[in-house]
Amino acid sequence: MTSPVFERVRVIAADVLKLPASQITAQTSPENVEGWDSVQHLNLILALEQDFSVQFEPEEIDQMSSVERILTVLQSKLNQN
Amino acid sequence: MAIAIQPYTEQWIPAVKAFNQRLAAGGIAPEFHFPESHIPSWLPKLEGRRIYQEFYLATDSDAVRGAYILKFQDFFVGGKIQPVAYYHLPISEGIVNKMYSSIGVHMLRSAIKAQPMLYCLGMGGVDRPLPRMLKAMGWSLSGVPFFFKVNNTPRFLRHMAPLRESALNRRVCDLAAVSGAGAIAINLLQRIHSKRKDRSVTVESVSSFGEWADVLWREYHSHYKLVGTRDAANLKVLYPPDKNFLVIKVSRGAEVLGWAVMLDTQMQNNKYFGNLRVGSIADCMASPDNAQAVIQAASQFLQERGVDLMVCNQSHAAWSAALKSNGFLQGPSNFIFAGSKALGELLASFERNKDQIYFMRGDGDGPVNL
Repeated sequence: MTSPVFERVRVIAADVLKLPASQITAQTSPENVEGWDSVQHLNLILALEQDFSVQFEPEEIDQMSSVERILTVLQSKLNQN
Repeated sequence: MAIAIQPYTEQWIPAVKAFNQRLAAGGIAPEFHFPESHIPSWLPKLEGRRIYQEFYLATDSDAVRGAYILKFQDFFVGGKIQPVAYYHLPISEGIVNKMYSSIGVHMLRSAIKAQPMLYCLGMGGVDRPLPRMLKAMGWSLSGVPFFFKVNNTPRFLRHMAPLRESALNRRVCDLAAVSGAGAIAINLLQRIHSKRKDRSVTVESVSSFGEWADVLWREYHSHYKLVGTRDAANLKVLYPPDKNFLVIKVSRGAEVLGWAVMLDTQMQNNKYFGNLRVGSIADCMASPDNAQAVIQAASQFLQERGVDLMVCNQSHAAWSAALKSNGFLQGPSNFIFAGSKALGELLASFERNKDQIYFMRGDGDGPVNL
């Protein structure tokens, strides 16, 4: 998966989760990253909101359970704006 | 996963029990499990009551994946009385199953959406997950100072668990207790900032709060930047006469200066206090100018009852100064106040005003564990 949005998400996720960007794939999720806990999940959401100038609804946050799902929600959000 | 936030109703009790069982299987201690009744045992919502709790669940189909409590109370803040909610006991299945790690954020955002004026209290220290989340969301955080005064030094040295964590520390404490050196040192420390006693102050034990408490609240609430309503109606709910609360009314001549609510508890293998008899000043109200008189009265009252140790958490600068001038020492505090962005904005520079807000043990969960 490559797209400008994915590349930005990859950089943000790598920064928040303290991982090399090369390790962030569409399948990256809390279940396969040890440091991705509830606090880091919030930090990731906040960093994405700031970088993309969007605000996620609580229901959307539940759906963002992997990088792939984050991209789906984010893309839909960006399309609405 | 389609999480819905909804009020806790009777039909969800089995799902809450199953949720608690999953938490227990993941090693979460019972004190963090969610109540297995939809009606709060403390501060249920009753007709006409202005202080009450509501329970909320984060549900996923038929399962409960998270829960939290909102305690509603009127506060004086931003120059007027308005409702503020205390967000507490948030617990998410994300703590034992990372598949649900988004639920903590979802619950907090939902609570803020429903009631932007929120605060959290206690939380066990700034490094815990909840305060870290709150800080990341731009909430204002500050520690509520902890004060203590030793009344029986040998027992304090023999039972105060944090002082006795290593074999060497235990030997030093035991030696200090036996030799009397500990008593001399602690008495000296407690006297450094002590002021002369105000002999004009009189103390009366009361069983309940009357019109005099309303008068105090009306006259003095505006002296604080943020303070929970302490009128007689709320106080009768918070400190009912059938519980073990000790209430004193403090006066000078005919003028009522303030009141204090205390507890006198014989601890049993407590993780901090061992088997000490602990007197806690759980709540007070007076003008900041009369804080010294009220703390003097409360401290003397507990001392005369024979407690080993007196403790108090207090966020306000004038009251903190009053505790110090009555011989209390400041210790490390893991009792944290966090105010939502909306609440922080009403304080118009939280950093400048944080020592003018008024929180004690009686706020939040009430004086639990004391």
